[in-house]
Amino acid sequence: MSGTFAGAWVCLLAPLAGFLVILLGGNRIRRQEAGWISTLSVFIGFAGAVGALVELWQSDHGDRHHVLRAFTWLRAGDFAPGLEITVDTLAIVMMLVVTGVGGLIVLYSNGYMAGEDEQRRYFAYMSFFVFSMLVLVQAGNLLLMLVGWGLVGLASYLLIGFYHRRPDAIAAAKKAFVINAVGDALFAMGLFLLIAKTGTVDFTTAFDAAENGELTSTVAGLIALGLLGGAVAKSAQIPFHTWLPDAMEGPTPVSALIHAATMVTAGVYLICRVHPIFEAAPSIQHTAAILGLVTLLVAGLIGLAQHDIKRVIAYSTMSQIGYMFVAAGIGAYGFAMFHLVTHAFFKALLFLAAGVVIHHLDGEQDIRRMGGLRRLMPYTHAVFLIGTLALVGIPPLAGFWSKDAVLASALATGGGLGWVLYVGGLAGALLTGAYSFRLYYRVFHGPPSEHVVAHSGHGHVHEHGPEHGGAHDRHAHAGEGPGSMLWPVGILAALSVVGGLLNVAGAWHPFTHWIDETAEALVEASVAEEYITSAIAVALGLAGYLIAKRAFDGGREIVPEGTAFTVLSRKLYVDELYAALFERPLQAASATIRDAFERPVVQGSLDRIGTGAQEASTLAGRVQTGLLRSYAFAIAASVVVLGVVFLVVR
Amino acid sequence: MIAMLGPEIPFYLVVSGILFAIGALGVMLRRSPLIVLLSLEIMLNACNLSLIGFSRLLGDGDGQIFALSVMAVAAAEVVVGLGLIVAIARRRLDLDVDEMQELRG
Repeated sequence: MSGTFAGAWVCLLAPLAGFLVILLGGNRIRRQEAGWISTLSVFIGFAGAVGALVELWQSDHGDRHHVLRAFTWLRAGDFAPGLEITVDTLAIVMMLVVTGVGGLIVLYSNGYMAGEDEQRRYFAYMSFFVFSMLVLVQAGNLLLMLVGWGLVGLASYLLIGFYHRRPDAIAAAKKAFVINAVGDALFAMGLFLLIAKTGTVDFTTAFDAAENGELTSTVAGLIALGLLGGAVAKSAQIPFHTWLPDAMEGPTPVSALIHAATMVTAGVYLICRVHPIFEAAPSIQHTAAILGLVTLLVAGLIGLAQHDIKRVIAYSTMSQIGYMFVAAGIGAYGFAMFHLVTHAFFKALLFLAAGVVIHHLDGEQDIRRMGGLRRLMPYTHAVFLIGTLALVGIPPLAGFWSKDAVLASALATGGGLGWVLYVGGLAGALLTGAYSFRLYYRVFHGPPSEHVVAHSGHGHVHEHGPEHGGAHDRHAHAGEGPGSMLWPVGILAALSVVGGLLNVAGAWHPFTHWIDETAEALVEASVAEEYITSAIAVALGLAGYLIAKRAFDGGREIVPEGTAFTVLSRKLYVDELYAALFERPLQAASATIRDAFERPVVQGSLDRIGTGAQEASTLAGRVQTGLLRSYAFAIAASVVVLGVVFLVVR
Repeated sequence: MIAMLGPEIPFYLVVSGILFAIGALGVMLRRSPLIVLLSLEIMLNACNLSLIGFSRLLGDGDGQIFALSVMAVAAAEVVVGLGLIVAIARRRLDLDVDEMQELRG
């Protein structure tokens, strides 16, 4: 049976339609309407994805990979990639996450962005991002995937720099774009090599070539390395990680959607999608795992010493994506995707809950100026706690099932690499507990800061009324926020609780089996390994909790103040290192070229051409006397001369 | 062919040439736009004279028709020229072609 999968096309095109309507509608669409159009378009996409899921579900096993071709896109001799989309078990998961979580976040934006200028632009970009992300995950060949890869980078750039009057936001947007451009270039080089060697960008053909050993190990390694470079840059893994914390300059829902739930996990998706190429180059695949491990530890450590609520969560995101890279690097694709999905739930939840707090406190993001919000914002406190528990991996919440599965797979891999990943991942679990609960206590416990008191005085005077659904005075929040913000947070909290039940260690594995149909896992942990790992990981998570609690009760930081704290809060000076290694030498080199070549040679010759033309025309202009009689004389004289010449020459 | 009466063709051409030279000198030497316009008319009529002379020599009507067209064009040209002169006079500028040299390079 081969279905038509109309739902997949609906899923892809609905957000594009939403984007175009808002873009072309301009001022004819009111601001709130733009928000609802965007929300609706993404939810229509979600409905399409569900339709495609149902159709795929009813297909037979082994008939769950479809490539739908709209038309031939480019033709160059035998090389004729089409505009085609993939519908298979892997793509459908991403489609559901992108449109489902994305829809909730866009819905949330309606409340969060109310009263902002330029809402239309915001919602147009949001729809555009969802479309771009869908191009990426639904791409039917690597070329279209590169297109989606670039488009999400653009959408990310536009949304990070949404507050275009803030220089920090613009700088962060540029930084994200430049680092991602490096990744895109690596991705493209890997792709070019693949085209050169196999003449195709088609997934299946390329994979067959990789699996049948048609590629030499060097070529496979280089292709995989290029793709890995793209994945690492997009997913903010070391060494391309510096853009993600700065990207928190964008609006909070953007951080939740792009920089936590979807785009930054694209690297994980890429590795799962092109796993045969990575399997043909095991050393590169292991490199991915090791980069993931380094990132998860370093990001966890830095997260302990940050003061901006969103930056802490951003480092947490990097750290969790590190787990996904570990899983993808050892070939546990099902668990990588599983952690991706649960992470999308609880990390979007954490960001959105943080957004409620930030919104309530009129844009305050420094956790040193928060505290004691537990009583003032009971609902937000509850959902934030759920998100934190899910992140730390306390059973039975989502993170417990997915993270422990990743670690158990590392244990099952065995060997030196497996043990390093296992021990490092467990250390990461301890760090996760520590930084998550540090954040939680700092924001919600302790005495309220003066800032909090100042903002809660008037907030609770107002009754819950219909007025807080629309544009409201930013200083008169009734309750904790408008319903359009609280509802999505509640749904995500529910998903964070039950999301882990997609896959229960030792009991049933519908999710991993579903992914296995597209990307067969290389390792499988035994039930004993999973239980041992779970016990250790939960114990370490609780240990992290205790460390955070004791530090908080003692009124100190977890990392002792002093050199260590300074180094961590300055992000290990990587930004400074990159500035010294790349930025300043480049600037010095370009200044030299400018002074030695550009100004004297290029600009000088152009100047000379210009002045030369000016002088010539001044000379020629002398002839133009403006005297009518001289013109008449010139004509008459010419006629006489011509006449004489005519007579003589004849 | 009708027998030709009166002077031979060289006389017409000589008169025409003299008229043309007078007109051209007038255009080139005089500064009053009115006289320049008059001189132009003299040049045009010098041409007309030679056209008609040739027409008479060859014994067909083409030259005469050309002369009529030239007269029509000359009339139109006088309209434009006089219009310009009136416009200059309205703005109380000197009626002097040498003063009108704004298009100097």
